[in-house]
Amino acid sequence: MSRIAIVGAGGFVGTSLIESLVLDGHTEVRAVVRSYRNMAGFCRWGDAVEVRLADATNEASLVKAFEGAAVVVNLTTGVPAGIVQSTRAIYSACRKAGVPRFVHLSSAVVYGDVEQPIDDDALPLDNLWMPYARAKAESERWLRTQHDSDLDLVVLRPGIVWGVRSSHTLGFAHALARKSSFLVDGGSSIFNGIYIANLVAMIRAACAKPGKAAGFYNAGDAETVTWRQFYDALGGPLDCDPARLPVVSGEKFPWSLGAAIDAVQSQSLVNALYHRLKTRIPDGLKAAIRARLEGAYNFERHASQYAIAVAVNRELWHLQRVRHKLPVQKFARDFDFVMPVGFPEAVQQTVSWLEAIGLAVPTSESSAKLNRAIYS
Amino acid sequence: MSVRTIVVGCGAVAQRLYRKPLAQLAKRRLIEVVALVDPAAAHAQEMLLAFPAARHFTSLDEACGATHPELTLVLTPPALHCAQTLTALAHGSHVLCEKPMANSSAECGRMIDAATAAQRVLAIGMVRRFFPAFAHLRQVVQAQELGVLQSFEYREGHKFEWAVTTPAAFRPRSQGGAGVLFDIGTHALDFLLSVFGDLEAEEYADDAAGGIECNVAMKLRAPQCRGSLDLSWDVPQVNVLRIVGTRAEAALRLDRFDQLAVTANGVFVPRTIDQSFPVDIKRDGRRIVPLSYADAVLCQLVQVLRAISLGEQPAVAGAEGAACIALLERALDMARPLPEPWLSASQRAAAARLHGSAR
Repeated sequence: MSRIAIVGAGGFVGTSLIESLVLDGHTEVRAVVRSYRNMAGFCRWGDAVEVRLADATNEASLVKAFEGAAVVVNLTTGVPAGIVQSTRAIYSACRKAGVPRFVHLSSAVVYGDVEQPIDDDALPLDNLWMPYARAKAESERWLRTQHDSDLDLVVLRPGIVWGVRSSHTLGFAHALARKSSFLVDGGSSIFNGIYIANLVAMIRAACAKPGKAAGFYNAGDAETVTWRQFYDALGGPLDCDPARLPVVSGEKFPWSLGAAIDAVQSQSLVNALYHRLKTRIPDGLKAAIRARLEGAYNFERHASQYAIAVAVNRELWHLQRVRHKLPVQKFARDFDFVMPVGFPEAVQQTVSWLEAIGLAVPTSESSAKLNRAIYS
Repeated sequence: MSVRTIVVGCGAVAQRLYRKPLAQLAKRRLIEVVALVDPAAAHAQEMLLAFPAARHFTSLDEACGATHPELTLVLTPPALHCAQTLTALAHGSHVLCEKPMANSSAECGRMIDAATAAQRVLAIGMVRRFFPAFAHLRQVVQAQELGVLQSFEYREGHKFEWAVTTPAAFRPRSQGGAGVLFDIGTHALDFLLSVFGDLEAEEYADDAAGGIECNVAMKLRAPQCRGSLDLSWDVPQVNVLRIVGTRAEAALRLDRFDQLAVTANGVFVPRTIDQSFPVDIKRDGRRIVPLSYADAVLCQLVQVLRAISLGEQPAVAGAEGAACIALLERALDMARPLPEPWLSASQRAAAARLHGSAR
């Protein structure tokens, strides 16, 4: 594999990809980041990682940063209003810099709640409520209109990226430890996730395939897992029995003040204004607002009482309503790819990380529960 | 009395932490910022907006020669702290040097010796000493409210979001980098030292693999008990310090200024936090309970002014700053690879091979 330029290298997927490349002896890794602070996540590798500064929405700076790269991987997220702009700028910069392959990360959220079975080549949905989903869908639609025989385009569409260092996983783990989580319809719907090491392996396969490679692909773990099974797997080490969590109906979203604010904020204009304001509010004020919204803090290591009524987050409610697993066979076929980490192993690795950061408590009982959850 | 002050280093620390409290003190005529020293004109320009009468220099020696400061604030990357402190002291200026005091004990020793010889104040910027809940916890432990101490657990980490203006901190230590140990670690160990009086490193592991560490795990021994310290630059930790005693347990939120709880009959009860600090150089002047970084830095600056004018002790003097660096050095001497059981066997072996290769 020759030189890989990773845009958005300082984020969760970026640092995991760099870790995997460096530890496997890959010597030509280039991190493309907007500012120096994004180096923190990969500074442990020293000179093994070349660093270039570039703004993902500024084509000229990207062209310079992509010089000599054999593959560009786009892992940027940023504010929804900037996602389409950065996708266009990165694609265009790849062409101008003569990069032969562009691997772009879209998201499974472009298919909303996956109410019908969907294949890898289905178009993204139009009426998505979440600004991030709308931006990812629009980016994909735009990329589908681009045709350049000199530039391979591989688009990966991961579901919830979970596991070691995942902010989603941290959120789930904190809620389970506080016993303030919930299950929609008892957790019977599909957890459309992909373990981070599996996603990293897919990205690397997309980068490394010799010859031409192009297409749009779903990215998910091999197993079909329900939300209840996922929570069962993590719950034990977090001292939480998911059977005791409140069950929320998947028929109708339970509105609350917080959810209403969220809904207003998801409107395109309001969302753009919100993100603009966020950058201008002093850190002290932001911290004070966060503290106020957070409410009373629970100083216990793990909460002793299960919540009776919980505030239902709209995004998580929708994620827990997914009816169908996105098929992942197309990538396996085209890239001769086998998912390297199975669900039980992924859970064990994740729990070992949760233990390392002090969230999960290692006990033989929790390990036994975990094994039962995985193998039953 | 306005204390003629030089700011050395006009990057993120100066702009985000010091500009506002300095401007407040300048308005009250307690401080006069006479010079701004930074090789990057753009950084100095940002600070000049708040202190238009100050002169911009690229050399500290030149700035001291031209403006004769009474106080020099050293707000540069750690690798520069020693040389700049020595320069300022040589010109007869008192010094407030941001943490970490320096990159080695040898440098700390030179700084302390120079301050002693010049009979000038050498204070180290450890702003968390002015967080009211932190000060309250110190009192709780020292008053033996927790009983005999049994253990402690310090966990702090978050994705690095400090808007640094240079990549200096992220370079390997051999190239002057600081890493999470010298960044959050100095705050953590300084505070734990102030709570327990003494600390010794028993084990130390980090994830440096050719570069600078991003995650750290330590085992520590205090006079009464043992404990652990975990720090991260790339993932949020639980951000709590727990101290367990025979009588009660205390839990301090490390990402807040005023949140501490102590158990009573096994249940955590939040404490009312009212620890205040002077914001005036009069002996019985006004005090505030700091609830923001700006407040805490203001109190820290005032404490240095009081050390200069009233002869009080700075919150953290050179000797305490040096004790913290010495502890970090002893820890680094026993560094081993941080366990990362989630990696594959071959990746763990590769990480172990790379570990410490740039030390």
